[in-house]
Amino acid sequence: MFALTTLVAVSFSIGSFRIGEAEKPFLYAVLLWIILVFSALSGLSRSFVKEEEAGTMDVLRLSARPQAVFLGKLFFNLTLLGALEVIIVPSFILLMEYNIAFPGFFVAMVITAGLGLGAGTTIVAAMIAQASVRGALFSALSFPLLLPLMITAIKGCERAAVGFDTAGWPEVRIALAYVVIMIIMSLFLFPLIWEE
Amino acid sequence: MYSLKLSNIGKYYSAALLFRDISFELRSGEALAIAGWNGSGKSTLLRIIAGLVRPSTGQVDMFSENEPIPKESRRRFLGMVAPAMALYEELTALENMEFFCKVRGLVHHRRTCLDMMDRVGLSEHSDKICRNYSSGMKQRLKLVQALLHTPPLLLLDEPGCNLDSKGIKIVEDITRQQRQTGMTIIASNEKREVDYADRVINLSERSHGNLAP
Repeated sequence: MFALTTLVAVSFSIGSFRIGEAEKPFLYAVLLWIILVFSALSGLSRSFVKEEEAGTMDVLRLSARPQAVFLGKLFFNLTLLGALEVIIVPSFILLMEYNIAFPGFFVAMVITAGLGLGAGTTIVAAMIAQASVRGALFSALSFPLLLPLMITAIKGCERAAVGFDTAGWPEVRIALAYVVIMIIMSLFLFPLIWEE
Repeated sequence: MYSLKLSNIGKYYSAALLFRDISFELRSGEALAIAGWNGSGKSTLLRIIAGLVRPSTGQVDMFSENEPIPKESRRRFLGMVAPAMALYEELTALENMEFFCKVRGLVHHRRTCLDMMDRVGLSEHSDKICRNYSSGMKQRLKLVQALLHTPPLLLLDEPGCNLDSKGIKIVEDITRQQRQTGMTIIASNEKREVDYADRVINLSERSHGNLAP
């Protein structure tokens, strides 16, 4: 809902007419990732918080391997984020009349950065689940962790829209490396976070 | 043959001491009761044994045939029931049990789950959403969850809470059966529950800042 509301607000207030053609690729990439990141931040923290609030955290700790719990929550968050991207990205392209020169590169960028966003927010959600000021802490901890990924995603989407020098798909490879590093690190760190 | 050894276990919250110097050994076939005033740390001690809370001092060791069981594997050897632990309210009782069978890596047999639920008098309610269960029925279901993998160590925190006389009889039967092969630790102030055990540790004598009169 947050994503749709933001998307509609952005498309009505900015639309495709108030931005010069030269600025469109960069500004549209920024707007798209602002919508996606803030939607993710508002929803994905719930994955572990829900367990804590329902009182099921302990029984899960006693039953399942920590890595299995992390991968389960990661899969859930990625599914949620995937569904969000499927709705938001095409809607954004249509409403903003977003012209993309290299759709393949753009789709790969959205997918890999989405995976990174899911992996980053899942481990932060685990960290903040037992804290008292979860909302503020989630955003504060996610910001430095997601910043490099967001810069890469914006650059990648801009490059896909403009259509210059996409050889080697550099931003996609950086985002993919981020995903791999984040998941491997999380699998090692999560058992420590999972214990009290 | 399994055994559990606690050596000088102590717990502090910030600078406040909850309890200290708790040491004991327990072997298969034995039952221990932990008694004490409210706030003396009975539940915390159980959570330390379960590996859910880190002790401030000392260590917990569990052995199988005198071979130490690694801490990360300990959860496979214990079952726990506690008032603060909850099951998934949006699932039915049977779905809950199927889920816990799966995450524990047990070969799942619907019949086995139903038999266990029958043991605690819940087989007729197995398809009901847990949200609609009474607190006593939830307590019975927690007992099933703790026993699914037939653990050698059973940790019971106030096992009789919310249970009627039939439910209390079920707890009695479960502890009696557990004593034939495994270890049982019961945290309670109920005399009847403390009497299930052959030894009692009273935390009121070792703890500070509790609500003792």
